[in-house]
Amino acid sequence: MSSSKRIAKELSDLERDPPTSCSAGPVGDDLYHWQASIMGPADSPYAGGVFFLSIHFPTDYPFKPPKISFTTKIYHPNINANGNICLDILKDQWSPALTLSKVLLSICSLLTDANPDDPLVPEIAHIYKTDRSKYEATAREWTKKYAV
Amino acid sequence: MDHQITTASDFRSTSIPNLYQLDTLLRCHICKDFLKVPVLTPCGHTFCSLCIREHLNNQPNCPLCLFEFRESLLRSEFLVNEVIQSYTSIRPALIDALKIQKPITDDDKIRKPQDSSLIELILESENDDSNTADDDLQIVATSERKPAKRSMTDILPLGSKPSKRSFTMFRSERIKKKSKPNEQMAQCPICQQFYPLKALEKTHLDECLTLQSLGKKPKPPKNLNADLKSQDKETSRPKSKTPETDKSDEVSHVDKYLNSIAKEEHQRLPKINFTSMNLSQIKQKLLSLGLSTSGTRQNFIKRYNHYEMLWNSNFCDSLEPVDESELKRQLLSWDVSHNKLPQNTNNNGGISKLMMMKSSGKSSSYRKLLENFKNDKFNRKGWIVMFQKDFSRLIKEAKLKIKSSSPNGSDLTKHIHDDGNEGKLQGVQETDVQQMEEGQEIPLTEKQEVNEINFPNEDLTDADLSRELMDMNEDGKDPPGSD
Repeated sequence: MSSSKRIAKELSDLERDPPTSCSAGPVGDDLYHWQASIMGPADSPYAGGVFFLSIHFPTDYPFKPPKISFTTKIYHPNINANGNICLDILKDQWSPALTLSKVLLSICSLLTDANPDDPLVPEIAHIYKTDRSKYEATAREWTKKYAV
Repeated sequence: MDHQITTASDFRSTSIPNLYQLDTLLRCHICKDFLKVPVLTPCGHTFCSLCIREHLNNQPNCPLCLFEFRESLLRSEFLVNEVIQSYTSIRPALIDALKIQKPITDDDKIRKPQDSSLIELILESENDDSNTADDDLQIVATSERKPAKRSMTDILPLGSKPSKRSFTMFRSERIKKKSKPNEQMAQCPICQQFYPLKALEKTHLDECLTLQSLGKKPKPPKNLNADLKSQDKETSRPKSKTPETDKSDEVSHVDKYLNSIAKEEHQRLPKINFTSMNLSQIKQKLLSLGLSTSGTRQNFIKRYNHYEMLWNSNFCDSLEPVDESELKRQLLSWDVSHNKLPQNTNNNGGISKLMMMKSSGKSSSYRKLLENFKNDKFNRKGWIVMFQKDFSRLIKEAKLKIKSSSPNGSDLTKHIHDDGNEGKLQGVQETDVQQMEEGQEIPLTEKQEVNEINFPNEDLTDADLSRELMDMNEDGKDPPGSD
């Protein structure tokens, strides 16, 4: 089974049935290198922002997860300064039955509900747990600064 | 990409949009294509044999429910296999037949007495109107199959994204072509053929109903038939199969299912725990299966695992297994693209590289020669003539090198002879072919001198030639002292 066929299939599905609040597509001619954008969920401090992500499909996709990272700076306990995302389905919980569209939706819900118990940035997680309003204010500020 | 991508949403614009569910259910959740050699997991999910086996090599669980199980518990699903083959064979015709057409532009003039499909069609478009608020909007907007429909109900203010067209282009353009000659035609809801409206109303529908109740197929008017045929040629895909051919298809799939038996002539290859094996044991294992032994331990293991997967999928699951040589060909092409050998930097004189260089100049004759590399038809003389210059240059280089490093000469000789005795001809020849195709470089060292290679000599036997190549190759992948 060829990974390119599966990726092309996902692209065509994404184009016919675009998920709400996300979009994705290849950068140039390289089917293995995509860019995606996520709208900040309305019920989160990221509302109003548009966040860009860079996506790399490994050659053994879908047996290995795609590599996804934020290119837009974002203040979030599970996303670090390099844009790396701490999300189980992008690591050990990956399943080949998942699709990029589902992964993007998971990232959206991660923006709404952060997981401070498994943080990538412990400082933000600490603030998130102890002073939620401060976290939200900073997140809003960063969104305004980098994602609008 | 030369293949057409089909998706379940192809049905969204037909008169039975719910068929997309069936279409989705018949697909593998790993490759998202129609199930190919479907197998059932112990947890009740179905995947392509190759897909799930490849997944199990990474993680021993079901991709859908994460239930853990071993690959030996997979069972073939003969019924699903035939269902899918039967379905995919009629799918294009099904989509075409269910496509919402609007053959008449001024339908106010004519009212068909019992045209149920038209009623459906209107209901359908009304539904679409009410749906425009949600995500269906996108589908409607980008589907070019609907313009006829929209002209009937007032056209919706929809934008269409040009990028989305690329995927539907092929089909939608065909539809346009097709609908033009049929403008004064209407489709019979029973036999799906197009007829002039009046004929349809007055005679054909009754005729068709009677014929249908008798189990026969009405004959379409001659000129129309010719018209349809010419369209079929354009599209290289039959618009709709006649009931006769459908029936014969059906029967063959039913027969295939009824006659399907698991074949037991080939034993399944076991999973091997390589951690307890040393390099030569693994090598022996590969050689006993007639597989190449180039590359590192990691390459060996990957190669075996992939071959095991191909083998078991083919001989345990498939109803129509291919033979071993085809599996080896598949393995070889996988090896080339996925099982990269570690790069060796200091081997500029590599024979494969030379051959690759040559091949760019005379690629067709080179490939012809290479095709028969493994069998008796191999044109040894042609090969020697083609690479004569390179061979003699290599020999010269080798001679120079051995002079500069004479202290090691005797050890090397010994090592080479050991290798030569141990190597099996078949495996090694495969290695050569593979490495050539891959553009891998085989380091050239002193030992060619030892063997006194003399390629331009046309009296060499085939065995000699392969031994020479083998020795060169042995040296490349097994440098002295690596064991």
